[in-house]
Amino acid sequence: MAGIKLENLIKSYGDTRILHGIDADIADGEMIVVVGPSGCGKSTLLRMVAGLEAVTAGRILIGERVVNDLEPSQRDIAMVFQNYALYPHMTVRQNMAYGLKIRGMSRAEIARRVDEAADILELRPYLDRKPRQLSGGQRQRVAMGRAIVRHPQVFLFDEPLSNLDAKLRVQMRLEIRKLQRRLGVTSIYVTHDQVEAMTLGDRLMVLNKGVVEQFGSPIELYERPASVFVAGFIGSPAMNFLPVRVEGDAAILPNGARLPAPARAAGEATLGARPEHLTPDEAGPVAVEVEVLEQLGAATLVHGRLEGTQHEMTVQLDGVRAPEAGRIMRFAPGQLHLFDAASGKRLAD
Amino acid sequence: MIENRPWLNLFAHLALILGVAIVALPIWITFVAASHEAARMMQAPIPMLPGGHFWENLRATLFGEGLSGAETAPVWRMLLNSLVMALGIAAGKIAISIISAFAIVYFKFPFRMAFFWMIFITLMLPVEVRILPTYEVVSDLGLLNSYWGLTVPLIASATATFMFRQVFLTIPDEMLESARIDGAGPLRFFWDILLPLSRTNIAALFVILFIYGWNQYLWPLLITTDRDMSTVMISIKQMLEAAEQSPQWNIIMMTALLAMLPPVAVVIAMQKLFVKGLTETDK
Amino acid sequence: MLKRVHFPASPLPYLLVAPQVLITLVFFIWPASQALWQSFLIEDAFGLSTEFVWFENFEALFHDSQYLASFWRTLVFSGAVAFLSMSFALALAAFADHVGRGAGTYRTLLIWPYAVAPVLAGALWLFMFNPTLGILPYLLEMVGYEWNHHLNGTQAMLLVILAAAWKQVAYNFLFYLAAMQSIPRSVIEAAAIDGAGPVRRFFSIVFPLISPTTFFLLVINAVYAFFDTFGIIHAVTQGGPANATTTLVYKVFNDGFVGLDLGGSAAQSVILMALVIALTAVQFRFVEKRVEY
Repeated sequence: MAGIKLENLIKSYGDTRILHGIDADIADGEMIVVVGPSGCGKSTLLRMVAGLEAVTAGRILIGERVVNDLEPSQRDIAMVFQNYALYPHMTVRQNMAYGLKIRGMSRAEIARRVDEAADILELRPYLDRKPRQLSGGQRQRVAMGRAIVRHPQVFLFDEPLSNLDAKLRVQMRLEIRKLQRRLGVTSIYVTHDQVEAMTLGDRLMVLNKGVVEQFGSPIELYERPASVFVAGFIGSPAMNFLPVRVEGDAAILPNGARLPAPARAAGEATLGARPEHLTPDEAGPVAVEVEVLEQLGAATLVHGRLEGTQHEMTVQLDGVRAPEAGRIMRFAPGQLHLFDAASGKRLAD
Repeated sequence: MIENRPWLNLFAHLALILGVAIVALPIWITFVAASHEAARMMQAPIPMLPGGHFWENLRATLFGEGLSGAETAPVWRMLLNSLVMALGIAAGKIAISIISAFAIVYFKFPFRMAFFWMIFITLMLPVEVRILPTYEVVSDLGLLNSYWGLTVPLIASATATFMFRQVFLTIPDEMLESARIDGAGPLRFFWDILLPLSRTNIAALFVILFIYGWNQYLWPLLITTDRDMSTVMISIKQMLEAAEQSPQWNIIMMTALLAMLPPVAVVIAMQKLFVKGLTETDK
Repeated sequence: MLKRVHFPASPLPYLLVAPQVLITLVFFIWPASQALWQSFLIEDAFGLSTEFVWFENFEALFHDSQYLASFWRTLVFSGAVAFLSMSFALALAAFADHVGRGAGTYRTLLIWPYAVAPVLAGALWLFMFNPTLGILPYLLEMVGYEWNHHLNGTQAMLLVILAAAWKQVAYNFLFYLAAMQSIPRSVIEAAAIDGAGPVRRFFSIVFPLISPTTFFLLVINAVYAFFDTFGIIHAVTQGGPANATTTLVYKVFNDGFVGLDLGGSAAQSVILMALVIALTAVQFRFVEKRVEY
């Protein structure tokens, strides 16, 4: 087993720079989720670790070994692709065995490993079927099996769940987590789905335009987002942002209401408040004009505007509530975040 | 059918049956002619119903000395030559096209596009427009009257190369990436993954190319002078010439029947592959 | 054109394209450039000396009434073959599309002539029209029409047109039927609801929608009639009587191989090359564009 180290990793296509110097130290057995919007460079990063894209500058280490110039097959990794990339003309068994066969492993050992993987993934009954005879979830599992049989030092996942329907996605998410824990293999998992990222990762790397916005545990990202981007990306429904003017200890909202400033600053800033951190309070300073309600059963989402302004706000209330549209509701703020108006960086508490 | 109009349906069926009859008429007459004695085939009007000499004519045609007056080899020998030529052309075209398409799609190398256009140009140079100089090249290489000469100069193929290129482009990139992670090199990937995945395309192309090779006329006409190397298509022409003096239409038509049997059988037996091949190679 | 990922650089791709490129160079590009070169040369009667004459061979061709005649003849021949086989195929395809479920059977019964070699198609029709024995001259005689394509140039032309068109019906039928079957049923049903009957639907909906196929087939049939019908003409009429069926390709063959006129034949080859290039360009430029159904 081995950890992974990325040192100032840079990727350019011609003059276009895709990744601007990524650093990361991933511990042995850790599961890292790289998350970001499409085009942020997360897949490129993963493919560089896999050896499918050349490294422009910087170093990739797996264990103690610099792997920059090694072929994918020599890096001791396994990868699960978004579309699974199963060989359609081979049976499940042949699919799993193919890589081992090329490495010249003995038949007995191949059979032992395939059976072992099939047991773990409950694929025994399907070993002699072709991929097209399997359901989406089963194919996904075969792709996992193909990774497991190699006993690699590193698992790489490239959005492996995005081709599944919502229900199966939740189920497979749990299975992947359990499997990774059980096998203890260092993993990098790429996704654009923040819920998937929060539930799967020991740590999350939030990428935006080829730059790491923040790298930390899910709770860290949720409680102390390093930038407006991370704050808006992590958490659902998304955080409310309001432009404020900070005067001493007070942050003044666009409609003149005053809140205690969560950090030291002066002048213009961006204030962030999560929908679930606003609590109804007749005397609260935040007044919202209710426009639309979304009843989710366990919670109610109130969409409206900050009273007297056009700034949209969302508040999450527990249980079933039914405030009328057009009514003004008042809230008391719980946890608040303050960001620099220009750079979007978090201001020190 | 949107509305139910029985008379229109009936009319459509009748028109189709008539169409099929018109299309099939020449073959029927050929078959009838091949089943009568030579003597019967010299009196007008010729019969419209089959006679009883089919097997006799078949034996005479296949193993006899061919037609009196025509300097042709026995028909079985010419059928064999046609078969070798058709198989050689079909297999050769597929083999060299699939490997060049593989190189062009899966590798990035200097002059890649130059090679691509060079292959493309063959599309614009059918034998008919370069008859004499091509004959000279083949003659200089000493390939006249040989199976090599019959096949090799015809096996460059832009259409087959384009078709395989198209097929490879539809195979997801992840298939290659996955194979690379599995440690498969280019040749192994080609053999283990690409070839099995192109199986039906190869079969469809084979059907089309077999017919193409079997039906070649101008090329064997140019480069075979030895009667033992002549193909069955050439022999038909020679028999027709001889027929001006001594018509033996029963033998000629039997030869024609034998000459069209293999490709027609292939089309009917492998109709699905044939249609696929036809529509894919002509884009 | 190219995959996003490739195998690492190596000499392998050169080895893979080598056979095809070699054959292309030796049997295609070299002879074609020879033809181009020879078209600028005139050889004396004994083949002892050659002279570079620029475009004299071409000028001679365009002043040769026989060559010009064969040019027009080829156009007439190609037009007639294309029109005859395409309209026959279109009608059959329309009926086959109409009967719906039985279309597959009719397709099987109609596509096999594709596999019959042109020279055999020629032989079959030659036998049917044999002036002394053939069944059709016999029938024609009963209505008082005398058929002898050995003497009558128009009849000879008609014979090769019939043989060439007969073979091509299969191909045209196949593509027309496929085009008609790919028109969504809902479009036809909408027209029926609008009150258009079957005949009207064919002319106002189906035929316009399959116009790309018509254009594609027009190009394919032209190429076929120009180049692939050599076997028919060579076997049936040898270009006669009195050159009445000498098409461009037949003339190249005859002047070069039989008449041994090196420069003239080469110039004819070059003109044919230009024609193929033009047809290929038309095909790639326009035929790729399909209307969206």
